[in-house]
Amino acid sequence: MSKQMTEMLKGTLEGIVLATLSGRPAYGYEITARLREQGFSDIAEGTIYALLVRVEKRGLVDVEKVPSEKGPPRKVYSLNAQGREYLDEFWRTWSFLTERLEQLREGGG
Amino acid sequence: MSDVEEYGFISKLIGPKKRWRAYKARAKQLPENYRAAVEAIERYMMHFVPTDGDSDASRFEDLADLFEQAAADGRSIREIVGENPVEFVEAFVENYSAGGYVPARARKRLTEAIERAAGQGA
Repeated sequence: MSKQMTEMLKGTLEGIVLATLSGRPAYGYEITARLREQGFSDIAEGTIYALLVRVEKRGLVDVEKVPSEKGPPRKVYSLNAQGREYLDEFWRTWSFLTERLEQLREGGG
Repeated sequence: MSDVEEYGFISKLIGPKKRWRAYKARAKQLPENYRAAVEAIERYMMHFVPTDGDSDASRFEDLADLFEQAAADGRSIREIVGENPVEFVEAFVENYSAGGYVPARARKRLTEAIERAAGQGA
């Protein structure tokens, strides 16, 4: 992953993860795997895990422990009302940013 | 965590220690190279200043959760930690701590230990 990509992802990864949860709940590695499938190939599971801990602390997701066939129970994360609100705001901000950036690209300001 | 609320002051002192020992026991159960990775991360984490016993203990419990699950599913250490273990641990620790001073040699030590555990180094 390029340095620039890493830097840009830092600011948007939270929104990306919440967006992947908006369809249906998932456990940590499921989210990592989904993101990898979508082309974020270098994302570490640990990074996503740390991010999930953070959004849990901020009350944007609900967590349920679900027993797994092998190994310890899995924490399944789902987006709650507060998380949806945050995600809406994230998309509004994103639209604003992309619009402005497109303008810059086309007209140079 | 509920222990602390239920049993008051004494267990406030004892609680984190108990949880620390429980975490160490879990780390011991991990496959050899996963344990090596966890211990390297643990060493690195010691540089961060904890804000309180509770969140400090959950930091290590969450670390154990992550590695236990990944080991059970057979995911590689690189898949968990990524190419830059320093970045990973710093993002991880941010959730629990006010942060602390990390000497450059500690970064180097973490990077090398993960290289060894992931089987990519000498």
